[in-house]
Amino acid sequence: MSDWKQNLQKFRYVMDTLLLISFMLVSAPQATGVPLHEWFSLVFIIPFVIHLLLHWDWIKRSFSRLFANITARERFNIVWDYLLYIMMLLVFVSGFLVSVALLPALNISLNIQDFWSKIHHDSATFIMPMLGVHLALNFSWIVKLTKRMFAMEAK
Amino acid sequence: MKHLKQQWQSRTSIVLIVSLLVSLLLVSLELTDWAAQINQQGYTHGAPDGEKPNIAPVLMYILPFVKELILIGVPMLLTLGIAKLIGLIKGMFKNKA
Repeated sequence: MSDWKQNLQKFRYVMDTLLLISFMLVSAPQATGVPLHEWFSLVFIIPFVIHLLLHWDWIKRSFSRLFANITARERFNIVWDYLLYIMMLLVFVSGFLVSVALLPALNISLNIQDFWSKIHHDSATFIMPMLGVHLALNFSWIVKLTKRMFAMEAK
Repeated sequence: MKHLKQQWQSRTSIVLIVSLLVSLLLVSLELTDWAAQINQQGYTHGAPDGEKPNIAPVLMYILPFVKELILIGVPMLLTLGIAKLIGLIKGMFKNKA
């Protein structure tokens, strides 16, 4: 546990845990209130970008892997991750376009369209089951790392 | 931390530029007939402004997280179940061969 900053897998695990916690916080505007929800969303960009940076090699390899001889599961995983990324961007974009606290605070006024309100509500709801599938596809890694993180030091 | 520092400036720039380009494409959705139709119909969700739901205040803070856990957890468990089932079926076919 103590060497998590030095070990790539453990560092990913800690950062991904923070990403999941921040995602859950950001996804509950009814609990946090809309202004906090919007400011949290801005901060959420940081763990999201960190997640992408820590999986840089996978991202670089993934596109060429799509055209290689790989299992259906791996192919599905790659396509699913691309879709999840696009959906996350859609949530971000639509969220900023319906901002009632963040952008007005920055002196940016918007004419909020019903279209973006609907897209933001629907995409923010739909991204949760998508995340559930993403977690399931990487579940063996999560279990393995959880065991490693909390394993008792060998005496 | 050393894992993050590795070429972080160029990589972050790439992530942000690609995300910005995809976002611009997504923004162009508002020019579609689909967007025009939704804007014409109007859209609201949740309780009308100023109307508070008739539940205990503490539940107002807990229920959104319960909803999240269900929306993330159920598809996760279903996917794990389906993956296990596929593994079992593949195993049966392998044993038969």
